[in-house]
Amino acid sequence: MVMPGLTLQGVFGVPLGTARLAECQRLNGELEALFLAREDDEHRNPMPSHIPQAETFESRFNLFRWPEPCVQELRKFVLDSVVTTVLQATKLLPADLARLTLHNHTWFHISRQVGSFVAHNHPMASWSAVYCVRAGEPVPAEPESGVLRLFDPRYGAGAYRDAANSQLHPAFALTPLDLRLNEGQVVVFPSYLFHEVTPFYGRDIRITVATNCWFA
Amino acid sequence: MSAPAVHVVPIFATPFGVVTLPEAVTLNSALDTLLSERAPPQWRAARGPGALMFRSREDLGDWPEEPVRRLMSEMLAGVSAVAASISELSEQDFAALRMDARAWFTLVRPDGCVPAKSYANSSWLAVYCVSAPEPSSARVDSGVLRLYESRLGTMFQDPAGSASKLPYRSGHCTWRPVPGEMAVFPAALTHEIALVRASGALILVNARVRFVGSGGAWMPPW
Repeated sequence: MVMPGLTLQGVFGVPLGTARLAECQRLNGELEALFLAREDDEHRNPMPSHIPQAETFESRFNLFRWPEPCVQELRKFVLDSVVTTVLQATKLLPADLARLTLHNHTWFHISRQVGSFVAHNHPMASWSAVYCVRAGEPVPAEPESGVLRLFDPRYGAGAYRDAANSQLHPAFALTPLDLRLNEGQVVVFPSYLFHEVTPFYGRDIRITVATNCWFA
Repeated sequence: MSAPAVHVVPIFATPFGVVTLPEAVTLNSALDTLLSERAPPQWRAARGPGALMFRSREDLGDWPEEPVRRLMSEMLAGVSAVAASISELSEQDFAALRMDARAWFTLVRPDGCVPAKSYANSSWLAVYCVSAPEPSSARVDSGVLRLYESRLGTMFQDPAGSASKLPYRSGHCTWRPVPGEMAVFPAALTHEIALVRASGALILVNARVRFVGSGGAWMPPW
């Protein structure tokens, strides 16, 4: 029996902002060339917070301070995406946000075959974003290759399951969310979300830019 | 100024047991052969993508082969010992519980991994190592069991807090599978087998377990 008049709503929601940079080929080409040219010890993160691996290069966290026009063009797009997400997800007005300084740590990753990044979140930041410079080739036999996986923060909530809570609609599901990023796409999410990049099995390279933001 | 008297205890602690199975280790050679043969022929022959990790059906507990039966018996005894060690039930009451278990095996080849997972309607997960490749000098976490941090209260950190020691330190915990040893932890914990970056396959036998009271209380299907 279906009871009329019942209202169902989502609560405890996790905001996820997505945007796509139109005509991104030129910018991504310039970024890729620049990053590959600087994939060296001088630009490598000297203090990685996780176990470094040969297949994934992580740059220093000062990327958005590089003066190159392509980096500054990307900086504007990514940080505008973060700001827009903040305005939509909070009660702040543009004028409120304008009085704050947006700080960021931003870096790039170049992943080669079997490169991955372990699940982590970003303490002391409020918003994180990942921009896709190059998606890398899809591998049909490994459908989870190189996906950005966001973990449901309601840990343990799925420990009891019966027929009535096993097929929840996506908005209520207690499962990780796999995002296969497209070139030019940016995703913005709360920094508390644990996330990982699964092993990339393509024969080429996967390049992303990640940023953590905090406001003061 | 005298130092204040401080008494600090862990709360909300997560049990993690490591059990050495003395008899099972003598079975590993036979188990290695048997389990490798039971992977589908097309998987055994494959070398490309898609052939990096194999997970069997959850029917290992029904296999009639003696090495498997003996391993199952030892594994369940080990899980029971871990659960009993942190239980407030009397020895007699604990012994009256019935164990339900579902078991399967996993083979992970070089460059393969077991994605993050947790298990519903189960209380414990046991991971027994049949065989493991040598540790990788290039990748310290090659083939480790990684148990995910889940406490979000660590989003704020100061220099003192971020230097906390176990069991208060935030971050993932890892355990390196060693043949003959078994890890036991709550099945709701999200965990993975990290990418194997060494030569040779990692073979694990896994069991998810729950205890059922003698009163016949309802349990959800699993």
